[in-house]
Amino acid sequence: MPYKSDSLHILVIEDQLGDFILIKNYLKKEQNNTRISRAVRFMEAENLLKSSTFDAILLDLSLPELDDRKALVKKVVLLANKSPVIVLTSFSDTEFGVKSLALGISDYLLKDELNAAQLSKSIHYGIERKRIESQLMESENKYKNLFDSSPLPMWVLERCSCRFLSVNAAAVDLYGYSREEFLGMSIKNLWAGIDETETEILNLIRKDGFFKLNISHIKKNREIIHLKIQSNPIIFDGKEARVALANNITASLEAKRALKNSEQRFKALVQDGSDLVMILNFDGNLTYVSPSSKLVIGITAEVLINYNLFEFIHEDDVNQVKDSIAMLQSKRRIQIPSYRIRTSKNKWKWIETILTNLYDDTSVNGIVANSRDITEFVKQEKELMESLKRYNIVEKATSDTITDYDMQNDVMHYNEGMELMFGYTQDQISTKGSWWDDKVHPEDAVRVKNKVNQVYEKGHGNLQVEYRFRCADGNYKYILDRTYLVTDEQGEPLRMIGSMQDITEIHNYIETIERHNNRLKEIAWTQSHVVRAPLSRIMGLIDSLENFENMDDQAQLLSHILTSARELDGIIRKINSKTTESISQSPIC
Amino acid sequence: MLKIIIIDDDDIMVFLQRKIFQRCGLAKDPNSFNAATAAIEFFKCEEINQHFLIFLDINMPEMNGWQFLDILKEMKISKNVFVIMVTSSIDCYDKEKAGSYKNVIDFMEKPVSIKNCNWIKEYVMLKEFFPN
Repeated sequence: MPYKSDSLHILVIEDQLGDFILIKNYLKKEQNNTRISRAVRFMEAENLLKSSTFDAILLDLSLPELDDRKALVKKVVLLANKSPVIVLTSFSDTEFGVKSLALGISDYLLKDELNAAQLSKSIHYGIERKRIESQLMESENKYKNLFDSSPLPMWVLERCSCRFLSVNAAAVDLYGYSREEFLGMSIKNLWAGIDETETEILNLIRKDGFFKLNISHIKKNREIIHLKIQSNPIIFDGKEARVALANNITASLEAKRALKNSEQRFKALVQDGSDLVMILNFDGNLTYVSPSSKLVIGITAEVLINYNLFEFIHEDDVNQVKDSIAMLQSKRRIQIPSYRIRTSKNKWKWIETILTNLYDDTSVNGIVANSRDITEFVKQEKELMESLKRYNIVEKATSDTITDYDMQNDVMHYNEGMELMFGYTQDQISTKGSWWDDKVHPEDAVRVKNKVNQVYEKGHGNLQVEYRFRCADGNYKYILDRTYLVTDEQGEPLRMIGSMQDITEIHNYIETIERHNNRLKEIAWTQSHVVRAPLSRIMGLIDSLENFENMDDQAQLLSHILTSARELDGIIRKINSKTTESISQSPIC
Repeated sequence: MLKIIIIDDDDIMVFLQRKIFQRCGLAKDPNSFNAATAAIEFFKCEEINQHFLIFLDINMPEMNGWQFLDILKEMKISKNVFVIMVTSSIDCYDKEKAGSYKNVIDFMEKPVSIKNCNWIKEYVMLKEFFPN
């Protein structure tokens, strides 16, 4: 009965020719086209097995050169590779035949009971079994590959001990432990901070059935990672085990956390910030009011949302706000000029609002109004304006030139005095400090500089100094400068603000008076000499007359006295006319 | 020997002073110049070891008493010259100014009297020239 249509190629390892012929006949009888090769000795069989493949090998165990039959069987089985090996024994060897099954042979037959049908059946059975065996191995290898080269970390655990039985390359990669290290470890070594749920997890592992869980593991480098694990029960090497697939979700968890933080932060900014955030439509109806409304206008968000925003705006300002909102039809963002909004106490607060049209954002679907309380600012601004106004009036009222020098930026500002007092045009005036320096009379420059430096060094105080300042026409004016130094909190000089008073007139007046005085002094001096000259002469002459008696030249002395007296008379008349003249020339007081 | 010199543009004053100096024995025949410039010329030719006492008027045309003193102090002879300023002025400013010249030993208001002349003889720096 033929089992297989293909011709079989069978190696018969048989030293006894008689037995070989017998076997050959049996084989041919069952299947005529069977090709048969014979090896007499093991060496011969070895060569044949290495050079060609056989469908089956029949091995007679009574080969003379091999005493160790067990070794022989092993060698042949190894050489036969995937082909079945059938051992032929004699009665006396039955026991060994049974044993040799464990060595990998597919069957053993008793030579004495051999017949064609039995031999054929054994051969075909052996071939078929080998084929199935190899298929099984291939499939096993496939699955093993699937485990080993999975991109996701996988491992096999013994269920009762939780020890690793196998890990794949991805797990080695992820955790940083070598395969050998893993095999000496338990899954518990990887757990990070699960003290409370430990028993629960151990129960899951020991119980039958699939489970999945999220867990934190610690890597060899102490880094904590977060995983999603799926585990299935299997039998591994005959042991109750679990195969687990791990998914590293550390990065996605962190991303989620970051998103959550950012959301919370944003929420905090809107809800707890001091800015009032509202969402409204073009008609002023509100769809969202941030909780800060309580803080800003004293009305809670829950109450305010039921009203129209326009109802809270000052009647003088409401049209301006409406106009601004209408402009959002064509513009995305608009800042409304400051306006007044009514508070819970029926008082007005100044508000500044930035409007953004976010109708295109479905999560908003409206106009976002970001408002800030600027009441304090407006109040300060008002005060500042008043102070500025006052300053401007003072500046106009004074005939002085006001100077304001920003020392850090070397910028000098003047009021119109620079034009009115000194005749410079706007084009001629430079804001550089050096422009001013250049106009100070060269003879006064050093003195002025020294005075200014003294004030710098002291870091505070007033400066009062007189100097000459050049006008546009080249003439100099006498100036009384009073300057005040402004410093920052650290006492560093910031600005010098001063007034330049034109004292040319006063100065000239004083100068004229001084000149006059000098002239009068001169007159007095000259005249005291001129008047006293003849007078002293007369006194001297009389003294001579008195003291020296019997002077032979008495007549000459008397004549000198007369001459001198006449001279004196003439001089006195002259003085009288000169003084009258001098008085008429004096400045009018 | 001390030579007495009068510098004054007023002839009557010179006449009067000469008379008084002769009478009180200060000098028998004092030299006199009615212009300071002439006096300068005179000093240029004088011997260095000769001592002089000048009665110098302040107010003179061309070169006044101060200008004369300014030139004199630069001359070599200067250290042997004593000057008594004689002025008709009663201006105290002149008196102050006179103190700034080393050569000036006194300041007199005109007219110079006999009393004045007797004082002069008693001056410490002049005493050696008037033994009695």
